[in-house]
Amino acid sequence: MAGMISAPGIQDQLRLVGWLRWRMFVNGLRIGSRKLELAVKIIMGAGIAVGALLWGPLMGLGCWYALSRNKPVIISIELWVVFGVWLVLPLVVTGFGAEANPVSLLRFPLRYSTFVLLAFAHGLFDPVALAAIYWLGCMVIGAAVASLGAALRAIPAFAALALLNLLLNRTIFTWLSRLLAQRRTREILGALFVLLMISFQLFGPLTQRYGKRAVPLLNHLSSAQNFLPPGMAASVLIEKDGGIALMEFAGLLAYCGLLGWALSVRLLSEYRGENLSEASRPAAGERSTVHAGWSFTGVPPTVAALFEKDLHYLLRNTTAYFTLLAPVIVVIFLSLNRPGPHARHPFLFNSSSMLYPMGIGYVLLTLFGFAYNNLGYDGAGVGMLLTAPIRFRDVMMSKNLLHIMIVAVEMIIVSVLVQFVAGPTPLLVVGVTLAGALWVMIANLAAGNLVSLYFPRKLQFGQMRRQKASGMAAAVTLGVQLPVMGLAVGAYLLSRWAGQLALCGAVFLVLAGAAWTGYRYVLNLVSDIAWKRRETLIQELSRTE
Amino acid sequence: MSNLAVETENLSRRFGELEAVRNVNLRVDAGQFFGFLGPNGAGKSTTIKMLTGLLEPTSGRIRILGLDFVNNPVGLKSQIGVVPEGLALFDRLTGPEYLLFAGRMYGLDRITAAERAQELLDFMGLADRGKSLIVDYSHGMKKKLAMAAAVIHGPKVLFLDEPFEGVDAIAAGTLKAMLNRMIARGVTIFLTSHVLEIVEKLCSHVAIIHRGELVAQGSIDELRSGVAARHAEGQKLSLEQIFLDIVGGERAAVPELSWLE
Repeated sequence: MAGMISAPGIQDQLRLVGWLRWRMFVNGLRIGSRKLELAVKIIMGAGIAVGALLWGPLMGLGCWYALSRNKPVIISIELWVVFGVWLVLPLVVTGFGAEANPVSLLRFPLRYSTFVLLAFAHGLFDPVALAAIYWLGCMVIGAAVASLGAALRAIPAFAALALLNLLLNRTIFTWLSRLLAQRRTREILGALFVLLMISFQLFGPLTQRYGKRAVPLLNHLSSAQNFLPPGMAASVLIEKDGGIALMEFAGLLAYCGLLGWALSVRLLSEYRGENLSEASRPAAGERSTVHAGWSFTGVPPTVAALFEKDLHYLLRNTTAYFTLLAPVIVVIFLSLNRPGPHARHPFLFNSSSMLYPMGIGYVLLTLFGFAYNNLGYDGAGVGMLLTAPIRFRDVMMSKNLLHIMIVAVEMIIVSVLVQFVAGPTPLLVVGVTLAGALWVMIANLAAGNLVSLYFPRKLQFGQMRRQKASGMAAAVTLGVQLPVMGLAVGAYLLSRWAGQLALCGAVFLVLAGAAWTGYRYVLNLVSDIAWKRRETLIQELSRTE
Repeated sequence: MSNLAVETENLSRRFGELEAVRNVNLRVDAGQFFGFLGPNGAGKSTTIKMLTGLLEPTSGRIRILGLDFVNNPVGLKSQIGVVPEGLALFDRLTGPEYLLFAGRMYGLDRITAAERAQELLDFMGLADRGKSLIVDYSHGMKKKLAMAAAVIHGPKVLFLDEPFEGVDAIAAGTLKAMLNRMIARGVTIFLTSHVLEIVEKLCSHVAIIHRGELVAQGSIDELRSGVAARHAEGQKLSLEQIFLDIVGGERAAVPELSWLE
C-alpha cells in the first residue's frame, strides 16, 4: 500500500474550496438559462450596489450631524438600521432555502479551523454584510470629522457590533439549517415566513390608524434598546462618562462571547457529523385501513380520483394556505385604507361597490397564478399520469375543477367580509362582478392549461425561496393576465362612470361565452399536447435541483 | 396469431448527435420472464422508456400485445404495469392513498381498488406505515410501493426498471416471490437489472444491449452455448461470465494503478 498522506494545511484547504466554488459557478453557466440569469443578476446587483454605495455617505453625514449637533438618537437609529439590514435581508433573500453550507465538504479531511473559517467566510462575504460594514466605516469617517476622540471610540464599538452581527447571522443560519433539514419543521418555518411577509402589508395601515395611541408604548420600549447591541454600540460612542462607555463596550463583548459559544455548539456538532436526515422514522400504531375513494355523480371516476389526489396535495401544502389567506388580508388592508367621506377620491375605496369588485379581482389575480403551472406540485408523479390509461384531458379537468372550487370558496369569504366591513353591495354590482369573474376565470383556465404543458416547472412544497417560473411562462402569463384583467377592470370602471353597469354585465357574459368555447377547444387539445411533450414534462417536473 | 408480448422493429432513439438506441429488434414471448441487460449507458433505460410510452422513438415500431402507442395508447397502457426509473410517485400522498389512486387511474372501481390496495400493503409489509407520507418513506419502501402500484390492476405485461436496486434482501425476497407468482399466472415480465445473479435466477430469457445495439437475445442456455466455444470445455458459465464475454471482451486486461502497490 502507498504510505499515509497528511491532510493539506488550512490555506491549501481554503484555496481548494475557493476553486471548487468558482468551478461550480463557471460550469453552471454552461446551461444557457443560467447565463441569462447571471446577466439579470449583474444588472440588478449593480443597481443595488450603487444604492448601497450612495447610502454610505448619508450614514456618515448622519453620524457627523448627530455628534456635532448633539442628537445621539440619530446614531442609535443608524445602528439599528445596520443591525436590522444585516440580519433580516440575508434571511429574506435565501427565503428559508438552504444556503451554501460547508457541511457538504465534511466527507473530506477538513480541519475544524478551516470549517469554522468557511462558516465565517459565508457570513462575511455576503453582499449585505459587506454593505453593512461599509456603512459602519462611513459612520466612523463621519465621527472622525466631528471629532477624533469620537472616531477612536467608534472604531472598537462598531468593530464589536460588526463581529456580533456576524456571529448572530451565522448562529441564526446554522440553527436554521438544523430546522430546515427536516420536512415538517421546514414547512412550518416556510409558513411562518409567509405570515411574516403578509403581516408587513398591514404595518402601514395599522400605524396610520393606531399610530398616535402607540407612541407612549414605543417610548417605554425605547429605553430597553440601551440593553441591546445597537443601543450599546451607540452608547459607547456618545456616552460622556468613560466608565459607563467602557461598561457598554464590555456588554457588547459579553454578547459576542455568548453568541460565539452558541455558534461553536452548533459548528462542533455539525463538524462531528450529526444526523439531520429525513430518513424514515419507525412509527408504531400507524396501521390504517384503506377506505374507498370519493365519487361524484356525473363526474368520471378518474377525474374524481384525480380531484381527490389534488385536494390531498392542497391540504398538505402549508404554504399554499397563506396564498389562500392573502385575498382576505388584502380586503382587510383595503378596508383599513378607506378614507373618510370627505376624501378626494371617495369613488375608489369608500364603498362596498368598489371594495367588492376589488376584493374579487384580487382573489382572481392571486389564485390564478397556480393555474399557469398546474402540474408544478405533481413533480415526478407526472410520469405515473403519463403511463396510466387516461386522457390528459381528465388530469387538466380535475385540476380546473379544484381551482374553480377554491376560487369560489375564496370569493364567498371575500363577499361576506366586504359586507361586514363596507356594508351591503348592490345586487347589480354583485351580478356584474360575478359575470366579469366568470370571464376572467374561464379565459385564465384555458390559457393556464396550455402554459402548464408548454412551460412546466417543478414546485417544491414548503419552500419559500422564490420558486422561479420559466421566463417564457411568466411572459405568457403576463400577456394573458394583463389584457384579461385590464379589460374587465376597464369595462367595469367605464360603465360605472357612464351609469351603464348592466350593459357591462352583458358584455362580460358574452366574453365568458367566447372564453368557454376557447376553453373547450383547448381541453380537446391537451391530451395530444401532453403526449407530444411528455419528455419535457417528465424532465422538467422530475428535476432534483 | 402472434404470441409475442413485446415486439420492436428497428427501434431507434437519437438525442442530438448521440444515437442512444440503434435498430433494436426485440422479441419477447407472452409469459416470459425477460431480462434486459447492458453496461451503464448502453441504452437500457432509454429502451424501456420507449416501450412504456415515456419516450418517443426517433424511428422504428413498438407493439405490445399487438397494440401500439400511436393508434391505441389508452388501450395499451391499461394492459401494462410500469415501475419507471424514478418511480414516479406522488410523494405527498400516503401509501394507501397512492395505491387507491393508482388503482382508480387504471380503471378499477373504488371498492375493488381499496380492497386490492389493502392486500398489497399487507403483502409488501407497508401496512404499518399507512399514515406516513411517501416523502418520508425509505428508498426500499418507495420501491415496494411503486411495484404494488404497477400490479394493482393485474397487468398482462410488467415493465420494471432496476426493481431490486436499493432494496434489502428481505424486501427483494418479497418482490421475487410476487414476480414468480405473476409469471405462474401467465404475466410477461420485462426487467432491467445490474444484479446479474438475480436475473439468472429469475429470468428464462435475456437480451443484451451494448452501445445502443442489441448484441444478444435468447434463452440463457442459448446465450451460454453461443459463447461456450471461447471457454474451457464442460465449464458451466454463469450469466455474469456470459455478459462479460459479450460486452466486456475488449476489456480483457485491467490496467494497473501506479500508486497502488
